[in-house]
Amino acid sequence: MAGTLTVAQKELRDQFGSKRFMILFGLVLLLSSLAAYQGVDYIRDNQDAGFVYIFSGTQMSFSFIQTMVYFGPLLGLALGFDAINKERTNGTLSMLMGQPIFRDSVINGKFVAGAAALTTLVVGTMGIMSGLAIPMLGFGPTMPEASKIVVLMLLTIVYLVFWMCLGIFYSVLTKRTSTSIMASIATWLTFSIVVTILASVVASFLVPLPGEGFRIHAEAGRIQITPEFREAIQKRMAVMSDIQKISPTNLYEEAASDILGVAQGFMRGMGFQEFQRTPTLNDALAANWANIATIIVGLVICFAGSYIMFLRSEIRPGE
Amino acid sequence: MTEHIIETMMLTKNYGDLTAVDQLNMTVNEGEIYGFLGPNGAGKTTTILMLMGLSVPSSGTAVVGGYDIVEESREIRKVASVLPEYSSLYGDLTANENLDYIGRLNDLPKEERKDRIDEMLEIVGMSDWGDSKLESFSRGMKQRVGIAAALIKQPKVVFLDEPTLGLDPVGTKEIRELILRLNREQDLTVVLISHLLPEIQMTCGRVGIINKGRLVVTETIENLTREMTGAEDRRVEFKLSEVPPGLIGDLEAVEGVKSVTRENGRLYVYSGVDSDYEVSKTITDRGAVILLMRPREYTLEEIFLKYYEEG
Repeated sequence: MAGTLTVAQKELRDQFGSKRFMILFGLVLLLSSLAAYQGVDYIRDNQDAGFVYIFSGTQMSFSFIQTMVYFGPLLGLALGFDAINKERTNGTLSMLMGQPIFRDSVINGKFVAGAAALTTLVVGTMGIMSGLAIPMLGFGPTMPEASKIVVLMLLTIVYLVFWMCLGIFYSVLTKRTSTSIMASIATWLTFSIVVTILASVVASFLVPLPGEGFRIHAEAGRIQITPEFREAIQKRMAVMSDIQKISPTNLYEEAASDILGVAQGFMRGMGFQEFQRTPTLNDALAANWANIATIIVGLVICFAGSYIMFLRSEIRPGE
Repeated sequence: MTEHIIETMMLTKNYGDLTAVDQLNMTVNEGEIYGFLGPNGAGKTTTILMLMGLSVPSSGTAVVGGYDIVEESREIRKVASVLPEYSSLYGDLTANENLDYIGRLNDLPKEERKDRIDEMLEIVGMSDWGDSKLESFSRGMKQRVGIAAALIKQPKVVFLDEPTLGLDPVGTKEIRELILRLNREQDLTVVLISHLLPEIQMTCGRVGIINKGRLVVTETIENLTREMTGAEDRRVEFKLSEVPPGLIGDLEAVEGVKSVTRENGRLYVYSGVDSDYEVSKTITDRGAVILLMRPREYTLEEIFLKYYEEG
């Protein structure tokens, strides 16, 4: 245990001192602060909009949740992708392991440090967002809102740690950091962009539109949609959403939006889909336990895989 | 009888089809400087990784400082240190930070850690550079901090993997003297991997030569030289006024002579026994005058080449 803490302490200092972490933290902070400002703007205009809107964003703006959906994988992977293989290529692994510590101290220490860095990032960002919003609004969150925010915070931390563990997994799996960084970028693009495109293409293939269902009546000045057309679009949405479930980013987005009890994103606000709001935290957790459990299971699998592979791996000359 | 601080028993390591270390039996005495030699890829570094408990042997075992390398590897790492071939410290940390990290990993309390860091930097002559980052150092300076890092746990035995590789002659001499001093003053057992023959000759008491994973010979340097220049393998150099035709064939016919070669105008007669009398007589009988005749000792390089090429 002493070894784990020593490694974690050193790694945490490295993380906080690294330009990589500072750049990512700065980017997230910037986007989140802008989102918070937009949220404040929206809350001022809407009587029934609560404090949580600074995190969920409004239908037409970029939110904290979306920041995490798009940049979360990058954040987590960036903190993990070179954890082990960097020590190998720099030749420091044999020195490190040549000390009287247990072998798993190295990987455990790196996990603890990465998780601590991500926790700092999430708590710091959400804290700063609240700190910006409260003086502007003149009021803070109610108790139920505060508990929603805390749960969102925990979910976000778990979600980012999942990506970090996947990064660590790549760092154990590959010998070179150039390989693991490519694997990380490919993963990020896949889950943030490719899955969505793929889902949309597959959905339009599976659910053809009826045709002639959508036209604008020039004289009436309004859009007319046939019930068949509306039904087809709703089916497409359902198929897309099902396919996107394979992406942890979507699991997170759904769960996070439900926890705040606010409709999320551009598409969902377009009026094609009646979005069911979950008013209380318990309802949201009950509806999303499978999503949350999947993220946690993914985290555990990635870490366990890295742990076992690392313990079995050989130290070769030059490492 | 001296205590064996390292003893390997049929130690073997396979990487797939490749046998890096093959049934190695080797002993190192407490307090000696043992030269661990062999061509590149002979299995030296792999052996050291196994002896540090960093790599698990495929079969066989070894005892280091009284501990089994498989069962008690963590205990070994309390009493043994390794200085890897390539710089193994963190470039983005200062010398002090690197040493402090290693001290922490060895559970040294804060005060003791600080004292030892100062002491070790003093020993390796780097006291003025404690707060500079490793990446700003020359190779020689890095190597010295590396030695300090290996010594901070106050080990009984250190494995030095080519500690003077790439250093200039001054740096090489300083490191060599440092190794000798540590061995003398702190009774440190040193296993030294090196390809520099003068360095080996000046530091090592005994050497073990490994080739293709097997120990070919283990001997003191004097015995090694004596063995090859003894009566078993004589080489005598002749400078003659002329080399009459047929002389070489006649010499090869002399009893005891194994072979005769001619290089740069000299004749070299290799024989299994002292046949100087018969050889000189044969030469003068053929009408040539012997201008120079001397037994030629084998150089250390030739001795090593002989073992390196064997097997």
